[in-house]
Order: sequence, then C-alpha cells, then structure tokens
Amino acid sequence: MSFLKASLAWIEERTGAMAFIAPLLFHHVPRNAKWWYVFGSATLMFFTIQIVTGVCLATVYAPSAAQAWESLNYIDNEVPMGWMLRALHGWSSNAMVVMMAIHMLQVFLHASYKYPRELNWITGVFLLLTVLALAFTGQVMRWDQDAYWGLGIGAAIADRIPVFGDQVRAMLLGGPIIGGETLNRFYALHVFVLPGAAIALVGLHMVLIIKNGISEMPKPGAVVVPSTYRKEFEERMHTDGVPFMPDAAQRDMVFCGVCLIGLFALAAISGPIGPGGMPDPTLINTNPRPDYPFMWLFGAVSLLPPASETAIMLIAPAIGVLLLLAIPFFSNSGERAPSKRPAMVLLAVVTVMAIAALTWEGTTSPWSPVMDGWSSLPTPAKFTRGRTPLEMQGAVVFQYAQCRNCHALDGQGGRRGPELDAVATRLSYDQLVRQVQQGGGNMPAYGKNLDSAQTAAVVAFLATLHPSNEPDSMIPGAQLPIPTGSAAAH
Amino acid sequence: MNSRLLLASLITWLAGCDRPGVPHGAQPVAHDSLAWTQSAFNTNCRGCHSQGAEGAALPLMNANYWAVATDAVVIEAIAHGQGRSMPAYLDDEGGPFTPAQIVSLVQGMRSLWGAKGSATGGEGGAISPRVIAGDAGAGAAVFSQACAGCHGPQGSAGSVIDPMYLRLISDQGLWSATIYGRSDLGMPSWSQTMPNRPTGLTAQEVADVVSFISSHRGIAQKASDGP
Ligand code: HEC
Ligand code: HEC
Ligand code: HEC
Repeated sequence: MSFLKASLAWIEERTGAMAFIAPLLFHHVPRNAKWWYVFGSATLMFFTIQIVTGVCLATVYAPSAAQAWESLNYIDNEVPMGWMLRALHGWSSNAMVVMMAIHMLQVFLHASYKYPRELNWITGVFLLLTVLALAFTGQVMRWDQDAYWGLGIGAAIADRIPVFGDQVRAMLLGGPIIGGETLNRFYALHVFVLPGAAIALVGLHMVLIIKNGISEMPKPGAVVVPSTYRKEFEERMHTDGVPFMPDAAQRDMVFCGVCLIGLFALAAISGPIGPGGMPDPTLINTNPRPDYPFMWLFGAVSLLPPASETAIMLIAPAIGVLLLLAIPFFSNSGERAPSKRPAMVLLAVVTVMAIAALTWEGTTSPWSPVMDGWSSLPTPAKFTRGRTPLEMQGAVVFQYAQCRNCHALDGQGGRRGPELDAVATRLSYDQLVRQVQQGGGNMPAYGKNLDSAQTAAVVAFLATLHPSNEPDSMIPGAQLPIPTGSAAAH
Repeated sequence: MNSRLLLASLITWLAGCDRPGVPHGAQPVAHDSLAWTQSAFNTNCRGCHSQGAEGAALPLMNANYWAVATDAVVIEAIAHGQGRSMPAYLDDEGGPFTPAQIVSLVQGMRSLWGAKGSATGGEGGAISPRVIAGDAGAGAAVFSQACAGCHGPQGSAGSVIDPMYLRLISDQGLWSATIYGRSDLGMPSWSQTMPNRPTGLTAQEVADVVSFISSHRGIAQKASDGP
C-alpha cells in the first residue's frame, strides 16, 4: 500500500497530474443540480463508446467501394460478437444524437447559456454539428442504398451553394457523381477529421465547464447580472456547493449505467443497423432511408414543392445554425426560469414537435428514386421504334448513366426528376445538352462523366421524346454540335 | 453482490443463442434455380436487354440469340463488360456476381430462352469476328448492296457509320447487331432476306461488313474495349 502511495507520489511530484485532475473531480457544483444535469455526461459516455467500438470496427472494415459491404457482413457473421460491436456503434450513435438534443434542450430551457457560459453553448453547437456530421458520414460507411440516399442529398445541398457549388460537390464526392472515391473521402472524414474535431471540442467544452462552473437550477427572480454574477456564483458555490465527486458524479454514474444497459439491450434486440440493399440480385425494391438523425430532413424534402428546396436545404440549415450560435448574444442576462420566459419555452416546444412530425413523415413517406431503375426497367417499345442507331445508343446511355433512377419513361422509373416522355416539347436541343452537362436543381451535373459521344447520343435520344404528332422540327437548334470540353478525354 | 449477479445474467443472456438481434447472415444465395436467374436478370439486365422492341440493347429473351451465342462470349461480356455501356458484373470488378453465379446465370438464361438443343451454344464459335478476319474493302461492297438501302444516305434507318455512334459500340456489338438483327424494329438478322441477299449473309460477309463499318470509327477500338 505504501509502495503504491510512494509511486503515486513519485509520479505526482514529476507530472503534477493530481494537482491537475483534483480540481476536475472535486470542484464544487450547485447542491440543487439534481437529475437535470446528467444528460451531458451521458452524451459523453456515448461518445466514448463510439470511439472504442469505432476503433475496433476500423480494424476489420475495408474502406473500398468493392469490399465495404462484404467486410460489414464479415464483421456481422464471422467475427465473434462482431455483430454486437456494429449494433453498439450504430445504436450508440443514434443515442448520442438524442442525448445531445435532450442536453441542449435542457440547457436552453434553463437558459444556462447566459453569462458567463456563452462559449459553453457555442462549443456545444459546434459539437452538435460535428456529431451530426459523424452520423452522416457514418451512414455512408455502410455503402448500401441508404448511403446513396444520404450522399444524393448531401451532393444536392452542396450543389446549391452559389458560385462554388460544383467545387464543393466535387470535393465531397471526389467527382461529379457518387463513386468509389466518395467512400474514401468519407472514410477519412469519419475516422480522422471529425473525431479529431469532436475530441478537441469536447476538451474545450470541459475546460469551460470547469472554468465557469455548472449553472444552478433557475429560480424565478434570481436574475443574471453579468457585472456581479461571477463573484456571487463563486461565493454560493463555496458556501453551499457540493463537490462534484461523489455527489453529482453518483447521479451521473447511475444514469449512465441505466443508459448503458438500455443500449446493450437495444443492440441485442435490434441488432446491427444495415447494411441494407447492396447490388444483390435477390434484394429488389429497397426503399432507401437515411438514419434517424436525418429523417426529419428527408421528411421536409419529401413534403416540399421542388421550388422551395434550395431554401430548405441550403438556407434554412444555415440560418438555423446562425440562430443557435446567436442565442447567447441576444439574451445573456436576466431571468433564467422557464416560467419567466414563456416565448422561449414555446419556441422549444414547437421545434421539438416539428422535428418529431417531420421524422414521422420521413419514416412513412416513400422516397422517389428507383435505385435499380437503370438496370431493371427497359426502354419502352414506343421509344425504341423508328430510332436511328445513334438514338438507340442514347437510350442505352440513358440507362447506363442511371438517368432512369430519377426519371420515368412511360410511367416507370424514379420520380426524383420530371418524367421525360415529352421533354423535347419543353426543351430545345441546346437546353437538353445544358441540362445533361450542367445539371441543376437536384440533378447531378454529368459534365465530364459523359464524353461527347455519350452526350450527343443521350441528347439525340431525348430529342426524340415528343408525341408522334409533333415533328422533330419542333426542336430548334437540332443541328448544333455538342459543346464539350471533355471530347479529348476519349 | 446484487449488481454482480445482474451483470452475470446480462452476459449469459448476451452469449445465449436466441438473441433476436443476431443477424441471420448473408444468406448464401442459391443461384442454381431458374427463378433466381429470372429475378437476377430482371433486376440487373432487363433495363437494357429485354425482348421484342423493348429495351435499347440487344434483346436476350430471344431464342435467336441463344442459337448462335457461345457461352464463352456471353460469360466474357457479363464478367468484364463489353464496349462502353455494358457494365462488368464480376465481383472482382465491382459487380454483384461471383464467377459461379455468372455461369449459372448464363446456363439459366439459355434454358429459359434458348431453343432446345442449344445447350452449349452452336454456330457462334465458327463465325465470331475473333475467328474470321474481315476485309473492309469487300465489306464496302456488301454494305452498299445489302445495307445501304436502309442505312445509306437515303435510308430511313439512320447511319451506322456515324463516328459518334461508332464510338459507343464495340466491334462485337456491331457483329451481334448484324447477326441477330432486331426484327421488331425492322433490322433483319443475318439469315433473313436483305436487298441483293435473298438468303442473307455468309459468315465471311458479316465479318467484312463489320470491319467496313468499324473502319469509320476513326479511333481504333478493340472488340471489348472499356470506356
Ligand atoms: C439524382 C437524380 C437525377 C439523375 C440521376 C438524373 N436527373 Fe435529370 N433531373 C433531375 C431533377 C431533380 C430534375 C429537375 C431539375 C430542376 O428542378 O431544374 C431533372 C431535370 C432533367 C431534365 C429537364 C426536364 C425538364 O422537363 O425540364 C432533363 C432533360 C434531364 N433531367 C435529363 C437527365 C439525363 C439525360 C440524365 C442522365 C444522364 C439525368 N437527367 C439524370 C434528377 C436527376
Ligand atoms: C430493312 C432495312 C434494313 C436493312 C436492309 C439493314 N438494316 Fe440495319 N437497321 C435497320 C433498322 C430499322 C435499325 C434500327 C434498329 C436498331 O437500332 O436496332 C437498324 C440498326 C442497325 C444497327 C444498329 C444496332 C444498334 O442498336 O446499335 C446496325 C449496326 C445495323 N443496323 C447494321 C446493318 C448492316 C450491317 C446491314 C447490312 C448487312 C443492315 N443493318 C441492313 C434496318 C435495316
Ligand atoms: C446499361 C445497360 C446494360 C445493362 C444493365 C446490361 N447490359 Fe449487357 N450489354 C449492353 C450493351 C450496350 C451491350 C453491347 C455493347 C457493345 O458491344 O458495344 C451489351 C452486351 C451484352 C452481351 C454481349 C452480346 C453479344 O453477344 O454481343 C451480353 C451477353 C450481355 N450484354 C448480357 C448482359 C447481362 C446478363 C446483363 C445483366 C447481368 C446485362 N447484360 C446488363 C448494355 C447493358
């Protein structure tokens, strides 16, 4: 025993570790900070689980487009308890997002973001974004059809960024469309960049908590006055506070323990999440869905008229984040009690209800692309009759380039974009070329992914899509050459 | 003590056998039934290869095809892709099928749509462009006699010597188009009556006309050139 003490003292003398840790463990926290304050710790616990299970998974997972799906099945079926590892990682990710939202809601309702804890809130908002980004990139790791959904939306959001849309999209996807390089990018983000950022932010968040202390339960009338708050708070902690260890920590531990049991039960009962539909011939008709943290976005998009999508997908999230960041600056003093801030409480309730309703909408509504449309839905006979060989090759390119996944012909195909049965009556030849090369709206820009012959052929085919009583001459500019910079590539 | 008991029972439960969460595993796909062939084909191929006038590429639900095509050509096309627009389906090349699955797919298609007795694929071996060297000069004559009525400048069927078109189709594809035709679309097969060729073309004439058409491509392309 004394040997242990001696060696601890030896270390302490050289590192000052205890002197550093002790204040973390024994700093005083408000006596009345009861069960309300356990959610942050639970979030941290889930984050720790993510790191541990994530490192384990990374030892087996193969981040290549050809092997990712296989390796997940290998983990599920061959690695002892591998399925449990995946289940824990998946469910703990969802649980972390939920716990984080609850923590944030509690902080918001109690107005704990007021002076001097503005930066606690702001690092928290950045943590929220990082964790959502981790959840998003994590769903891509499964490299199944749901991953494709997430990427499609991500790419569509990137596309809408003014001026730099194309570049951001190319940076995300490693090219204009989703391909093998996409997975490598997201893997690097998911295992290096984002966890690094999250750990740094958690550290910062902790430092701020120690520095500023934990806020007391709000009492009506106990207003925050920045000029005197810190001094009074420290006095109260000194006289009335209790040490974090063991008083508050006990509750944290009990709550985390309950969460942990819940997590294991959930993982054991529900099993690992995905991987879902893979290009496996026996899996037909998978209805791609994002993971729960993004379901509300999915719901919003499915409800909205296409015209408002730019606003919803690019501008609304940006405004949302800015508002969150701005909250402590709008009101950093005054009342903290929810009963004195009815408007804020109402806002929180409405937000929670909206997200819940949209999540429900997202889980129940069908999404529009048909993932295997390109290889399963033949060009209808009425669109192959009387076509020249070039136009026929265009119809092949239309399948090959997966246009069919988003566009229906004769009622069959995806519904992400408009049906193209009579597109030649709406668009001129050069508008068709433009649409294929530059995309627009939610359509990917094919640009260099199709060479000049493929573009010429698919546009020649599109130009035949008009009711038979309307002549080809309806299409102005039909003789123009295909403008393309990529012809030399082949 | 109590908590240790709890932990122990949790562990036993997790290690026990009927945990509902355990994945049932990638069901080893039984790929030897015709039902599997049909569903694999419907999901993966039918979008391009169908029957009659449907589908933009060569119809495979078509006895004429299976009467001529050899397993070797078919398997190679499916495994490694063909030309610009036929994807590779072999798992090693990013596709969904193992080599064994490709073989059963081909055998399945043959028994679903081939006429009886075409079990190994018949004549194709002898008339493949890989076996007979074509002569573009002789092909020009065949073309102007047998094909130009439909594919020449006055023809309604559209040009087959348009370099844009030729950049998208392989020589094997040209050969198949000429051999099998697309009767539903008005393109005769090699054994059908054509202008100046009442009994169709000979194997040598097919090879010649393909090398004539192919010579307009401008860019050299091998039979199974990828993009
Ligand atoms: C990810 C889904 C998606 C894919 C894949 C896709 N499109 Fe689109 N496409 C759309 C959407 C969405 C629109 C509507 C764009 C808008 O709102 O401006 C559209 C619009 C179009 C239009 C204009 C239709 C009109 O009536 O204005 C054409 C033509 C078109 N796409 C052709 C193609 C071709 C050809 C391909 C394949 C090379 C393709 N699309 C692939 C989603 C897609
Ligand atoms: C009776 C008219 C007719 C004759 C004769 C004819 N073709 Fe065709 N051919 C067509 C039609 C119609 C199409 C369009 C259907 C299609 O693209 O498959 C076509 C398509 C083609 C295609 C394109 C197939 C594809 O989908 O890419 C090739 C290659 C072709 N013909 C070669 C020939 C050759 C070689 C000859 C002479 C040996 C010939 N054709 C004779 C009518 C004809
Ligand atoms: C995106 C359209 C597309 C899909 C999907 C597709 N193919 Fe093809 N396939 C083509 C085209 C186009 C060609 C001709 C290419 C060329 O020669 O230029 C072709 C050629 C072939 C050939 C060779 C025909 C010959 O003898 O010349 C076979 C066999 C074939 N495909 C089988 C399949 C099978 C089996 C599947 C499904 C597993 C499939 N294809 C899926 C477009 C497709």
